[in-house]
Amino acid sequence: MTRREMLVTAGAALAAPRIRAAQAPTAPVALARCDSYGPAVLPVLRKMFDQIGGIGRLVKGKTVAVKLNLTGNPDIRVGTIPIESTNWTHPDVISAAVALFAQAGAARIRLLESPWKSAEPLEEYMISAGWEPRDFVSAAGKARLEFENTNFLGRGKQYHRFPVPNGGHLFPAFDLNHSYYDCDVFVSIGKLKEHRTAGVTMSMKNCFGITPCTIYGDGAGEDEPGLVPRGGRNPIHAGTRQPSKSSPPEKDPTSPREGGYRVPRCVADLVAARPVHLAIIDGIESIAGGEVGGQVQHYVQPHVLVAGTNTVCVDAVGAAVMGFDPMADRGVKPFEQADSTLRLAEELGVGTRDLNRIEVIGEKIAGVVCDYRKARSVNGVPGGWPGRAPGGAAPARGGRRG
Amino acid sequence: MAADIAAADLVPFRWPATWTDPRHIALFEGGPVNCLLFDGPAGAIADAARKAGLSVIYWNSLNAAKLADINWNAPVPIVTVTGLVWPRMQAAAGGGDQAASGPTGAPWIDSTSWVARLAAARAGGKQIWLDFAPPKDEAPPGDAAYRVAVADAASTGARWALTLDPKLSAGLAAGSAGALKTWKSITAALSFFEQHKPWRSYQHQGPLGVVSTFAGEHEFMATEFLNLAARRNLLYRVIDRSRLASADLGGLRAVIWLDQELPPPEAVPKLAEFARAGGLLIVSQTAAPAFKGEGSLDCPVAGYGLRSLGKGTVAAAVRDWDDPYFLAADAHNLVSRRYDPVRMFNGSSYWVHYSVAPDGRDGLIQLVSFGTASRGGGAGGAEVSLRIARNHRSVALHTLDAEPVPLQPVTVGQNIEYRLPQFATYAALEVKA
Repeated sequence: MTRREMLVTAGAALAAPRIRAAQAPTAPVALARCDSYGPAVLPVLRKMFDQIGGIGRLVKGKTVAVKLNLTGNPDIRVGTIPIESTNWTHPDVISAAVALFAQAGAARIRLLESPWKSAEPLEEYMISAGWEPRDFVSAAGKARLEFENTNFLGRGKQYHRFPVPNGGHLFPAFDLNHSYYDCDVFVSIGKLKEHRTAGVTMSMKNCFGITPCTIYGDGAGEDEPGLVPRGGRNPIHAGTRQPSKSSPPEKDPTSPREGGYRVPRCVADLVAARPVHLAIIDGIESIAGGEVGGQVQHYVQPHVLVAGTNTVCVDAVGAAVMGFDPMADRGVKPFEQADSTLRLAEELGVGTRDLNRIEVIGEKIAGVVCDYRKARSVNGVPGGWPGRAPGGAAPARGGRRG
Repeated sequence: MAADIAAADLVPFRWPATWTDPRHIALFEGGPVNCLLFDGPAGAIADAARKAGLSVIYWNSLNAAKLADINWNAPVPIVTVTGLVWPRMQAAAGGGDQAASGPTGAPWIDSTSWVARLAAARAGGKQIWLDFAPPKDEAPPGDAAYRVAVADAASTGARWALTLDPKLSAGLAAGSAGALKTWKSITAALSFFEQHKPWRSYQHQGPLGVVSTFAGEHEFMATEFLNLAARRNLLYRVIDRSRLASADLGGLRAVIWLDQELPPPEAVPKLAEFARAGGLLIVSQTAAPAFKGEGSLDCPVAGYGLRSLGKGTVAAAVRDWDDPYFLAADAHNLVSRRYDPVRMFNGSSYWVHYSVAPDGRDGLIQLVSFGTASRGGGAGGAEVSLRIARNHRSVALHTLDAEPVPLQPVTVGQNIEYRLPQFATYAALEVKA
């Protein structure tokens, strides 16, 4: 055996078993126009849920865990635009989903997020953005509504281990807050955004935030999880350290320490380990050009909602709505500097990204495309990889579907 | 000290040791500075100053001292605190335009305002003067930096003992046009605050009362709490533990007992009564046994046990407090941001002060901007918007160099917000009931 052959063999042993793309499951995806937030959202989402077969069978009598996307500092806005119209899942989308879950018979609904570096109550994080958490309680009606910050142990007594089926790309298993275990249904409500590390962020990338920083963050305990988060998820982004020793380390500590390699793999592993039963993407209003504070961001109004029971299929449709080819991979937009999370999740058998295998119900993709790169074009030249623009170009405003 | 200017009206200036010409007194003609501070005998210059109607004070007579060393009960009308930082946003280690970040990701700001607030609480009605100087071994501050220094002190009702850097004092002595421009800029800022003297009588308010000795073994945790709580816009009322018996706890939603020891017996009834009347009492683990509470409640904040007490609650830490940053965050979460008097967006490079007129009607929101164009303090740049909790009829924006203008409310969802126009250094929002 040559040295090269030996390395290839060793690499194959470490690599996740790959499911043939043709075998990856598919599920219908509902795609709808929604011209504004407010009362318009509920009937649109209700129709979408009907289009994908109804949610009663999914949530009736069940505990529904809903991972929101509340990424970034709530005090920071793009200009004067509230953060829910740019970076965060909008409360009207959350309220509509909560109301529909409750109407479909959900017994308990838990709203979940892991606010950056913080163990603060999720309600407080929402209030920081000017939201009123009681609105969600009202939307839930008779269903019990709870909030939990899943960035640490929270209200649980222990973390729960989620092995990654088919071996995983980066991690063999994750230790997560109890809320991801103590539920019957897991819902991811993401935002239709670009992302400077993973290229895009929708319902799958939203699940990156289910990792508790007490284990996976800077300042996590060395041997055991920390009591509270003391840093962000840079260890996953850059591989600067391993999780607390009480949790499984990454499979190959010699693998690339590059975010574009690591984050998509981690996300794919997470959605394989903690399956998403219902994926929703808020694309009514959003940002193009990167989701993280400090980046040049461009307010866009795609006016769409996407929903389905397969998170990869939903994100594939979402990517297409943003003007991207979901079959693209590293080197091709939107993955110029990252591996495709869609492809990696597909390889783990989570779902297909092939639009030819996905039934899209409602709007046709071509009719609702909002090209994110064109939305942030400069002098007619579409923007590139989402990041800091040379010279710090001012954010564009009001990019609309063409 | 000249007898004809009340201590409350003195606007102090530290006379540079290199100025030996009495003719420099002319700089103060018609300006806001009315009190010269001399490090030593000033002879003819002091005479000239008095002749020009200025007060003369020798530094040694002030008994100026560091915060920890001040005799708060000394029979003097002015308390002068030394050993303070130059107010500014800290540059990142690499320099350039990047601001250093605190644990929140917000830029790190050095401010003397929390010291002034603490001193005011401990000094009981005396005037507070702050002594700090431009940093040595660095490029001299520009006009804006001097104005920030003025505003940082003045927004608390304190006064900075204005101290020039060597280059500026030399330039003024030589009559340099650039130096004179800077001087005019500084004195314009001083004049603004003298023209709005009634604001100095406004009471700084917030939902939280902060009780401590602020001294000895409690000094670090308590003073850093004041600094970091203010930085995260957790607005508070400082309560000197020795004055707790006479302290007015009215209007507070919560009181935090910062000292990690049992409260003295005379303090317990007042704090317990505050809780029984509906307030939230936050206590250290060590102090918890003094407040038994009643039924156990679900506490939303990790690391605390919550018990009912009358109409209110007691939140007791279950671990020792060891990090004032986390303690400030815990306190904010326990009190809830819902009760923040002011909620600001894209304001991470601003220090917010909130005070209320003595009659309780009008409010005043003061914003000191520590950012420059290149240190805007967040992705949103300088487009700052804010919400005001108190009921109000109108809001007027005051800035250092312009006439006040009314601000128009903007409806955002179910909320009213105000969008601030661009301003430099300082703005005050006069909130009329």
